[in-house]
Amino acid sequence: MISRVADHCFWFGRYVERAESTARMLSATANLALDAELPPAHVWRPVIVVSGEESEFLARVAEGADDHPAWGDGELVQRFMVWDEQNGVSLARSIIGARWNARSIREVLSLEVWEATNELHLWMRSNEAQQVYGRERDAFYAHVRRSTQLTLGLLRSTMLHDEALNFVWLGVLLERVNQTARMLDVHHHAFTHLPDLNEIIEIAVWVTLLRALSGSEAYMKRAPGRVASETVARFLISERAFPRSIAYCVHAAYERLKDLRPPDAHDLPGGQSLERLRVLDTWVEARIKEPLTGASVHELLTHVVDEVHAICGTLGTELLA
Amino acid sequence: MVQRQSQSQIQVTPGRLFENYPALDGTFDEMFEFGGPRPPFARVAQLIDKIGKDELAKFQALAESSLLQRGVTFSVYSDSRGTEKIFPFCLLPRLIAAGDWVKLERGLQQRLRALGLFLDDIYGEQKIVAAGVLPGEMLQGASAYMPMLRGLKPPGGVRTHISGIDLIRDPSGTWRVLEDNLRTPSGVSYVMENRQLSKRMFPRVFDAARVHRVDHYPTRLVETLRSVSPVTGGDTHAVVLTPGPYNSAYFEHTFLARTMGLELVQAPDLFVDQDKVFCRTTRGPRRVDVIYRRTDETFLDPDVFRPDSVLGVRGLMRAYAAGNVALANAPGNGVADDKAIYPFVHDMIRYYLGEEPLLEQVKTYVCLRDDDRRYVLEHLGEMVVKAVDEAGGYGMLMGPQSTAEQRDEFRRRITAEPRRYIAQHRVELSSCPTWIGDKGRVEPRRVDLRPYILTSREGPWVLPGGLTRVALVEGSYVVNSSQGGGSKDTWVLKETA
Repeated sequence: MISRVADHCFWFGRYVERAESTARMLSATANLALDAELPPAHVWRPVIVVSGEESEFLARVAEGADDHPAWGDGELVQRFMVWDEQNGVSLARSIIGARWNARSIREVLSLEVWEATNELHLWMRSNEAQQVYGRERDAFYAHVRRSTQLTLGLLRSTMLHDEALNFVWLGVLLERVNQTARMLDVHHHAFTHLPDLNEIIEIAVWVTLLRALSGSEAYMKRAPGRVASETVARFLISERAFPRSIAYCVHAAYERLKDLRPPDAHDLPGGQSLERLRVLDTWVEARIKEPLTGASVHELLTHVVDEVHAICGTLGTELLA
Repeated sequence: MVQRQSQSQIQVTPGRLFENYPALDGTFDEMFEFGGPRPPFARVAQLIDKIGKDELAKFQALAESSLLQRGVTFSVYSDSRGTEKIFPFCLLPRLIAAGDWVKLERGLQQRLRALGLFLDDIYGEQKIVAAGVLPGEMLQGASAYMPMLRGLKPPGGVRTHISGIDLIRDPSGTWRVLEDNLRTPSGVSYVMENRQLSKRMFPRVFDAARVHRVDHYPTRLVETLRSVSPVTGGDTHAVVLTPGPYNSAYFEHTFLARTMGLELVQAPDLFVDQDKVFCRTTRGPRRVDVIYRRTDETFLDPDVFRPDSVLGVRGLMRAYAAGNVALANAPGNGVADDKAIYPFVHDMIRYYLGEEPLLEQVKTYVCLRDDDRRYVLEHLGEMVVKAVDEAGGYGMLMGPQSTAEQRDEFRRRITAEPRRYIAQHRVELSSCPTWIGDKGRVEPRRVDLRPYILTSREGPWVLPGGLTRVALVEGSYVVNSSQGGGSKDTWVLKETA
């Protein structure tokens, strides 16, 4: 497949996944804010931190002040994360990005995938979207989530399961590892350091994180009724059967890349990326057998985020340029 | 049914579509003649009439939102936010009778055969000039002629793989060729998209009308491309070359690539090594044999056409000259659709084929000729003046609607560069019933027709119908989409049993 096309496929997958996870995170956080009995900044600031746009928010919304009330203002944080097109990871930008990449490879995507993507793009620009956002916030996030989930489902059910889909899915999975790792890291850090968290609030906070990752029901099936930071972290890192866990995503990404570039195809480009992803997969595998402490969770997640970043870079030079 | 309905056989019911249809004087209407619908269309016209105004308004709105949802759009300007518009579309179809179509089809095939032979000749021995049929000065002044291509035989011997011939109808109903498009004619995707909409919105009328299908075009196109491949056997790798998503016809490029199952490439995806063309893929270089190029030929290869250009594929023309890659359409075709060469096409048909031309043309004044130029300058206010090498309605003077300043400007231009201009009397283009949303009624608007012809090794094939373009602005004669034009589905009716 043409390298430029592969690049669009990869980024299409990343943007669609990013839009979905942003909508999910915002909806779960808004839900938590209602009855968390936490200082608002403790609820909303992590959203900005996870997105990696702290300095942008500080400069443009919080007027340069670290203790500005904007950090705890749910409306401001949501507007920044949904509509602000200067924010590179806002929902609006992710949807524009997904649609732009899709339009650049319209001949590669199935008509259904294209239409689902285009419809979401048009909806975001409609008055209806503004009205739903103002009137019924959760329905707004639900619409975005359903549209992106539809796109992800149609990719599998209407397209050839060959190179193009592998590149899209590689983008989806690497984006997902990133989202899970960042969300877990930020929450883990923020909430294990709160001094006097009562048990009920602690449970609420961790359930919110699980919900934001579509994992609360799956988690309960694995660890009925036991919600604590250590078990939640372990679940999100190492549960192989959960499609958003670090272990699952890294391994699945490795399998996709192996399909695209078999380990013994030494004459094909992509060898470095494959090797690096294999090493990461083995590393995660080995680490999850060891006990997890607060410090080791942070160190593990940082390593994963850094490696995924590096692998995306190598993919860019080896296969997508 | 129509206002002048003394002989109408159709009951007029208020709310029906064609109630009080105000036919234009001195204009041939495609659907109605004095008193009622034209006989071959009587049944279909009655069915359409019954749809009624309210229903049609609803269908029209549905059709437009469907085009937007499906992204059947053209880019308005370079903007990554994706500002795009739909190509205006009128649901009321343009009908063509079976008998008319048979004649048009033959005429178009004849024209394409002659134009193909002309191109072979003009890039070869130039016998037509030696024989005195085409004045040498006409050829020398043709800016689209590419001397460096002389003596070069294209792979498969075909040059005009895809062409679009613009036809109009004068007040007597005679079909006339207005211009030939032999470079990269666009619009065929709208023929297929418009047909989808007709079928969805008017399934019963469509079924009853018995219309020739159009959706096999992509299959015929890919066969045409394969037929000229330099490699034999089934291993041909054909691609569609697009300038990219900012191009106004990008939707069509993706449509064709998708429906043909070919890869859509941009120039930076291609490179040439030892006179062979390759594509950069995730598995290394892959050989390319046929390129359906939707890029302007002057941007094909910076080595040959524009040394200053960073666009294009360096060395592509060498690969083409070596016979290692087929280009559709062949570079250099512009000389045959030069508007000052057009007046000589009838002579070409007689000279190369020994046949009488089957399709009429429009009387054309070539400003390079002294007599013609004098006449044109004296009658500027009545004429349509066109630059020979421009398209899309640009570089044009519509005499009857022009201002004194515009006429002075064209007088200067014609005097300075006579070879660049031709002129014609304005033809009263035929009209077609068209839904005018603002007024909530059907009114006549002027139309033309662009049929698409595919030429393979076996000769020309004509897609039944083509793109009907309609000047949506009241009183306008300009059908180009860049200037307020829209399109209609074109129904070529089958012979009634």
